[in-house]
Amino acid sequence: MDLDFTVEDDLFREEARDWLNENVPTEPRPQQGLAMREFDLAWQRRQYDGGWAGVSWPKEYGGRGLSLTHQLIWYEEYARAGAPNAQLLFVGCNHAAPTLMSKGSEEQKAYHLPKILRGEVAWCQGFSEPDNGSDLAGLRTRALIDGDHLVVNGSKIWTSNAHLADWQELLVRTDPLAPRHKGISWVICDMNTPGIELRPILIMTQPGHHHFNQVFYNDVRIPLANVVGEINDGWNVAMSTLGFERGTAGMSEQITYGVLLEKLIDMARERFGDAAIEHDEIGQRLAQLRADHAAVRAMIYMVVSRSYAGAPGSEASLTRAFFSQLQQRTRRIALDILGADSLEMPSEDPWIRPYLRSFSTTIAAGTSEIQRNIIGERVLGLPR
Amino acid sequence: MNLLPTPEQTQIIDAARSFLAGEAPVERLRPQHGQIGNRDARLWGDLAELGFLSLGLPEHQGGVGLGPCEETLLYREFGRHLISPGVLGLTLGARLAARAEDAALLEAVGAGSVRIGIANPRGPVSLGPESEGEFHLIEAREAAWAIAWSTDGAGLFRTGEFSAVSDVLCMDSHLTLERARLEVVSPVIWAPAEEDAIGDRALVLVAAYAVGLAEAARDMAVAYAKIREQFGKPIGSFQAIKHKCADMAILAEAAWCQTAFAAVALAKGRGDARFHATAAKLLATDAALKNAAQNIQVHGAYGFTADADAHLFLKRAHVMDILAGDLRAQKAALIREPAAT
Repeated sequence: MDLDFTVEDDLFREEARDWLNENVPTEPRPQQGLAMREFDLAWQRRQYDGGWAGVSWPKEYGGRGLSLTHQLIWYEEYARAGAPNAQLLFVGCNHAAPTLMSKGSEEQKAYHLPKILRGEVAWCQGFSEPDNGSDLAGLRTRALIDGDHLVVNGSKIWTSNAHLADWQELLVRTDPLAPRHKGISWVICDMNTPGIELRPILIMTQPGHHHFNQVFYNDVRIPLANVVGEINDGWNVAMSTLGFERGTAGMSEQITYGVLLEKLIDMARERFGDAAIEHDEIGQRLAQLRADHAAVRAMIYMVVSRSYAGAPGSEASLTRAFFSQLQQRTRRIALDILGADSLEMPSEDPWIRPYLRSFSTTIAAGTSEIQRNIIGERVLGLPR
Repeated sequence: MNLLPTPEQTQIIDAARSFLAGEAPVERLRPQHGQIGNRDARLWGDLAELGFLSLGLPEHQGGVGLGPCEETLLYREFGRHLISPGVLGLTLGARLAARAEDAALLEAVGAGSVRIGIANPRGPVSLGPESEGEFHLIEAREAAWAIAWSTDGAGLFRTGEFSAVSDVLCMDSHLTLERARLEVVSPVIWAPAEEDAIGDRALVLVAAYAVGLAEAARDMAVAYAKIREQFGKPIGSFQAIKHKCADMAILAEAAWCQTAFAAVALAKGRGDARFHATAAKLLATDAALKNAAQNIQVHGAYGFTADADAHLFLKRAHVMDILAGDLRAQKAALIREPAAT
């Protein structure tokens, strides 16, 4: 048991800190639309040019090939520097790329990985359907083989940023007669293919906020060469992605939240004074949050420690389940500190929109209920 | 950076597990349910011989020369086996004896032939070279010594110097509990926190013990949910039960990771060691209390009986919560700390 970083780690940290101090964008990140896309892609390109995109990506794919410890150090410094959370690129960098690295063909990797890393493209995810959300394996979007193409018909929903994405990781049913988990394929879908139509879905944070979409596929032709892994083996391919999402991919945001909580404590001290903080219910709740965020950091360190002994296991789902609820409680307390002012939603608003948005944290990427099923079955060995 | 135990630390865990599985199964507390007092003092000799009572003492004073990390791993096992909290009196008391170079007391701890109870404040007390206030003596009835500590320091007292001593039935009825008073008494040994952060160490060890409780309660609930059938299925297949078990696993994981982090912070003398120790105590006792309660619920009516072990974990969790300051006190302390680095 040890918390010491090596001299080499410390040098890496210093290098990261210096670069971030000089390069983190000072202008606020646009909340939606093409402006947000341009912002996120430009920031990714800047990181790439500085040699900081893909710290733990293998060198053969353009990364630095460093350890998960280096990745952790980078995220810690990233959070400390207040660098923006480029959410638009999350699916590309944290889903599509690791999936392609582990299951993609040489051609797929050579074409897509550099574009993702250099900030040239944005990806979206096509998993959930109107009738199949948590019950993902029941998905019904059909794909029939026609020559060297798949012809896709059906619909996906809750597709974040489909209107801003170039590519989509798409799950389709290629064998309707096979058992549920056996007839699914994972394909790369070009979002500019004819036959794709989008219906914007507005979200609850503020009037007119367009974040996700329903996507319709009408005879959409996708080359068979875009199937990742074997045809009809898409469930296994998808699970490798989700395992990653539930493991280390959230690390950066988890670290950012610890910094955010200290801001909230300072804000509460300013508003109420030290004495009130130490004796009021709000101080008790802030203390609990402090302990919880300390635990998240310790849990991340434990995930990294376990990675030395093997790939992130299902224990990482414990960290994610803990953190997704903690995000909501952290966002919620901001409103109690603001009091009556919490009804105001100014245009530069660091608290209210993120609070409303935090309701997605226990839904997206597997609801808290699905997370608990996974923990119950895969970590604790309870029967299905 | 690596929070997993080293191979050497794993050896200590294995040795502790193997000893406790043989000599201190939880069932030992079953037939005597309702008894006052605990027979665990009979384990002190063997634990001493294995080096477990002096893990953190320097070798020239008869210790093993290890630190808070090894003690933390050991206390997690103590919690799983509901070892009498009198063991904490010995671990911490030995530090005071070593500091004062009290060879006789050190030798007695090393031989497992002495008992050191815990004097836990019942409210605001004054602890220092001159101490006074109202205390609970825990596992001290047959002990010659009792240790009291705060974040300011730790003192070792002769139990004979407490006045107005009266027996009370402890909610955790395997433990002895007495009310007692110190009327301006000087401890035989006093160590200010600047010289040895015994108060912070106690927070981490109580946290580790509480993690053991939380994990044992989780494991007991999961094991029962796999075999108990209703409506023709194991109850663990129902989400109402499965999700309770998952929540128990989440709380135990958070508590253990933070406790491990705090142990290293203490071992390295980091400036934020108290922050992490306080957070660990808070999270671990919270997890122990919640998991113990959920474990009773998962067991249904059986969980409410004296025959099931479920109640033992709940009661011990309350003892651990009260030791060194309850959840409310830990939260008040944590919000006063500067942010962790």
